[in-house]
Amino acid sequence: MTDAILSVDGLVKRFGGLVAVNEVSFDVPRGLIVGLIGINGAGKTTLMNCVNGIYHSDGGRVVVDGHDMTNHKPHEIASLGVGRTFQIPRIFHRMTLIENLMVPVLGSEKSDAELTDMAEACLDRVDLYPLRGNNGEELSGGQQKLLELARVLMFDPALILLDEPFAGVNPSLCRIMIQQIEKMKQDGKSFLLVSHDLTSIYRLSDQISVLNQGEIIASGTVETIQSDPAVIEAYLGN
Amino acid sequence: MQRSSSPEIEIDTRRADTVRRTLWYGLVVVILIWCAVIPVFDGNLSLYFAMMMWVTLATGLNFIAGFTGYMPFGYVAFYGIGAYATGIAVKVLGMSVYLAIPFAGVVGVLFGLLIAPTLRLSGIYFAIVSLSLAIICQRAIALMPEEVTGGSLGLNLGVVTVREHGYYAMLLILVAALLTASWLARSRLGKALKAIRDDAEAAEALGVNVTRSRLYAWLLATLFPALAGGTQAWFTGALDPQTAFDVLVTAKTVIYAMAGGLGTVLGPLVGTVVLVWVDELIWRAFPVLNNFLLGAIIAALILFAPRGLIGSLTRRYPRLRRYIM
Repeated sequence: MTDAILSVDGLVKRFGGLVAVNEVSFDVPRGLIVGLIGINGAGKTTLMNCVNGIYHSDGGRVVVDGHDMTNHKPHEIASLGVGRTFQIPRIFHRMTLIENLMVPVLGSEKSDAELTDMAEACLDRVDLYPLRGNNGEELSGGQQKLLELARVLMFDPALILLDEPFAGVNPSLCRIMIQQIEKMKQDGKSFLLVSHDLTSIYRLSDQISVLNQGEIIASGTVETIQSDPAVIEAYLGN
Repeated sequence: MQRSSSPEIEIDTRRADTVRRTLWYGLVVVILIWCAVIPVFDGNLSLYFAMMMWVTLATGLNFIAGFTGYMPFGYVAFYGIGAYATGIAVKVLGMSVYLAIPFAGVVGVLFGLLIAPTLRLSGIYFAIVSLSLAIICQRAIALMPEEVTGGSLGLNLGVVTVREHGYYAMLLILVAALLTASWLARSRLGKALKAIRDDAEAAEALGVNVTRSRLYAWLLATLFPALAGGTQAWFTGALDPQTAFDVLVTAKTVIYAMAGGLGTVLGPLVGTVVLVWVDELIWRAFPVLNNFLLGAIIAALILFAPRGLIGSLTRRYPRLRRYIM
């Protein structure tokens, strides 16, 4: 039996008559990266929002590290060690970069001085240290993505949900992000990675699930997915 | 770990923290000493009382509007409830006015707790509900038995103590409000609130208990207007529903706080002091055009410095942010 840090079982999410996520089931094994791909509107972000509690699901279960967290509040799910980034960066615009990084660890027993040192180290890992006193709103779009990643580093979660981390990021910043993701994986972190950038997702993922119209149409290794006729049809049409 | 920083930046950051603290506490001490000696020199007691009261109200509003982004258009409700709690405590319950002021604070906070479920709303919906509750409070107090609230005519407290005592009570409340604000700005709760203000959903996804943090800010925001309202009733010796729940109290508080810059400790203080003085100077020089000129100045301020004096200054000169609390 696989040691899954995240198990999603029969998850359903409806918006009125639209079924955005339909009976989706998959696992994220501990220490691995599971990629989630699909065309626009396939339900990837909705699924991620159901996993971390932003959306209430209409059916199914979300189990995090053995705890049934279905429809729990996002901060309760985060407290189990689930961090995430967003498709469009959602940083705290009127807070400095250091303050941005303090947010996920406000409940920590460490002193503010220790946390500030940690925040500076995390910013350094994504090359944002020189801007630590600037407000979030003063960063470029790519730098905001890096800040989100640094926030995840600071949080040090066991499971990381990355929603389109490479979208709108230039190749050099993208390289930094990939390096950090690989380093975190070496440190034993698990990932659910949603991306349109197939090159990156194929490079990083241990397993891939393909979502189409709210349903998983294929799951497996990169090689399996690349040659799956259903996936090719979903992406390229008949 | 190899840092890309230079040692000078580290030293600069520490020095900036020291400079910021020194500047802030120095400014507060100067203002407080100034206010404290006014009665000794028989200065314009009412003007300084009003200034301290408005700074307290603007600072209190900042806890909820500046730190969490909730704009309570019915903020005056807590001021009015504090005033009436003091009036009823003194006139009906026969309580000493010195006890009546903390009592007013408790009543204000309890009322805040009672209507805390409105925090589930956001944006304009919260603002409208908050304003409606203030109007309901005004009507309810006016309709209550005259022997309790004085009905629509209000209560006449008379001379409860020497006037200077009320003045110094306001000074104490101002000190408490400013100390609370400086604590909040440095505290983890303050950081949680700022994160909620910028993006509540993202903050919650990062582990911030949004509901609880907002409630704390809300209760802090309800305490100070209730104390200020109670002290105002003490200082003037009279209160009625029209003035105690006058929507202009909210409007002026919002304008003063915004003029300085919401979200900073210094903003509401600077905005209030500047505008109260400008108001006074215009009134002395052009009594007929007072409201017209003041309105034009406020409109220009909002137009050209939408983040307020302090907010716009730090936006234009980001390095100053290190020195401003």
